[in-house]
Amino acid sequence: MNKAAASLETRLSWQDVLDAASRREGERSFLLRLVLYICQQHGLQAAALYSKTEGGFDRLVSAGSEAFPTSLGEDEDLEYDSLLLPDGLLLYKAGENGRKEVEGPLILALSSALRATVLRGRLKQQSFAINYRGVELEALYDVGLAIASMLNLGQLGEEILLRAVSLLDARRGALYLRSGDRFLLDHTFGGDARGELPFDDPQIEALLEERLPTDQDLLPGARHLMGLPIGTDGRPQGLLIVADKESRHGVGPFPNADSRTLSLFANQAAIALETAYLHQQALEKERLERELDLAADIQRRLLPTVFPRMDGFEVTGWSRSARHVGGDYYDFLRVRDDRVAAVLADVSGKGLPAALMVSTVHSALRLLIDQADVGPELVRRLNHHIAESSAPNKFITLLVAELDPSHAEMRYVNAGHNPALLIGPSAEVKELESGGLPLGLFDNSSYRAGRVDVGVGDLVCIYSDGITESASRRDEEFGVERLVDLLRISRDEPLSKIVSAVDSAVIDFENGLDQVDDQTLVLLRRTA
Amino acid sequence: MTEMLKVTVDRRPPLAVIYTEGYINNQGGEEIARVAYDLIDGDHTTLLLNLKGTKIVNSIGISILIEIIEKMLEIDGRLAFCNLTPTIEKTFHIMGLAQYAQIFADEEVALGELTV
Repeated sequence: MNKAAASLETRLSWQDVLDAASRREGERSFLLRLVLYICQQHGLQAAALYSKTEGGFDRLVSAGSEAFPTSLGEDEDLEYDSLLLPDGLLLYKAGENGRKEVEGPLILALSSALRATVLRGRLKQQSFAINYRGVELEALYDVGLAIASMLNLGQLGEEILLRAVSLLDARRGALYLRSGDRFLLDHTFGGDARGELPFDDPQIEALLEERLPTDQDLLPGARHLMGLPIGTDGRPQGLLIVADKESRHGVGPFPNADSRTLSLFANQAAIALETAYLHQQALEKERLERELDLAADIQRRLLPTVFPRMDGFEVTGWSRSARHVGGDYYDFLRVRDDRVAAVLADVSGKGLPAALMVSTVHSALRLLIDQADVGPELVRRLNHHIAESSAPNKFITLLVAELDPSHAEMRYVNAGHNPALLIGPSAEVKELESGGLPLGLFDNSSYRAGRVDVGVGDLVCIYSDGITESASRRDEEFGVERLVDLLRISRDEPLSKIVSAVDSAVIDFENGLDQVDDQTLVLLRRTA
Repeated sequence: MTEMLKVTVDRRPPLAVIYTEGYINNQGGEEIARVAYDLIDGDHTTLLLNLKGTKIVNSIGISILIEIIEKMLEIDGRLAFCNLTPTIEKTFHIMGLAQYAQIFADEEVALGELTV
């Protein structure tokens, strides 16, 4: 007899009722037997016992075939006879010969049993509430541990939303994460939500002030919303919304206590999100650094590793980038009749964009140098190629010089680069001036060649402005004069020693300051 | 993300395995209760709730699960759970469900114990 409605056909004895009380069938089984026994003793066709609730009564058990309602309102008109009990109500339908009034010791016993049931129910509810408070506290604690250790932003967003919905008995929810000047929907639960919300969306303010109209379109169809920004130090990283507080009777608004719980939860979630963001940024930085290392390696391969040996000249080059990769480029290219082209180029800007331009110059120069002599036509073609393939605000200064072992004269084209320096036998300095605009500025630029006599022992220095514009702690520039002085002093030293001397002098001058620009040097000396 | 609870049953009298997928809330809990009471009426005295497809449960859902446990105790039956997420398992322990319903790591282990 474990159903709440039972037949009256089976005759019960008082002992049957007592047996039910002593067994573990449950209190409803005992109440049912007691109601059945009352029906039989009072000649009732059917009866139902209700417990009192807030605003009405809920049916506990019913005996007989009558379909009594499962719940009743407090002031509801009743179509049955009734007896009000301290903790509930007995509805009954009298039989043909039955009594209209039910009373006596059995009713007292029923009332006592109902009271015991109601009290036990209250105790259970209180015990449940206390236990669930433990679940809430544990959940808040867990958020700090479990989701703070979750570094995948996608998983973290879902976990935060699921825990918030569960913790607050919500039926629906949505989590938005900040992206620029708006919130973008990260996860939704239980239904649709708007895809994005600008910071100044009036619905956000209305949500946070709990005056959102029921026809809102944040979570279409949801009736009761509660939301909080997620953020640390007053910076909102996201927006957490829960909707429609559940109870056994449906959904309703969230009580004030839930607002506090959500606030505590949002604080924990903010820390977890911040941690995950930082982790993601660190991973991204690591990935970029790996890519930059690879790019730097590729760029190093663009620079000569072995310097050409040729009759009558010795050459060397050196370059140090300010970042992983740089915008300076130098090269020595063999051209016809045992001649060598020495080139130094400096791309405007630094870093990866400049390095990509370096790659373009490198490829183009190597292709074009087989088609044209070192001179204005070569540089004009190079300019045309660069102007077509580079961004409008990018340009390249370049100096290319041709070394001919059979001539004392050196031809060069200077496209907007710093004048190269020629240190003569008496330490006099000649500047190899500009012969046109930097590459990439205008498609139709023209260039002119320069010529200079290079005597035995003369030193030619082509350099990038990263050397002469390196700055000291007093904000002074290294300058051309210091470079010239160094070259004069070391003019007769081996070229590698001159490079080391310039390198050391610049480092000493910067005195621990970060290198601001790429630094490159090409040295040529006529030996015979 | 599944929200509405789906319930399927594998009947192996006197045992039945109830599989859930989705949110065990008021609606989900009521659906489990409906299925469980039908099984009880069909003389299934051991029920195993496999929550592999459930990541979220709320207090209303828990209260309904407690009612099912009480019903099982009334008929001298057994209710057990398996495949709980760590969060749900912890919740069941705090709420006292674990005192009256066994919790197993997975269905194989549960069936091994429950069919002995």
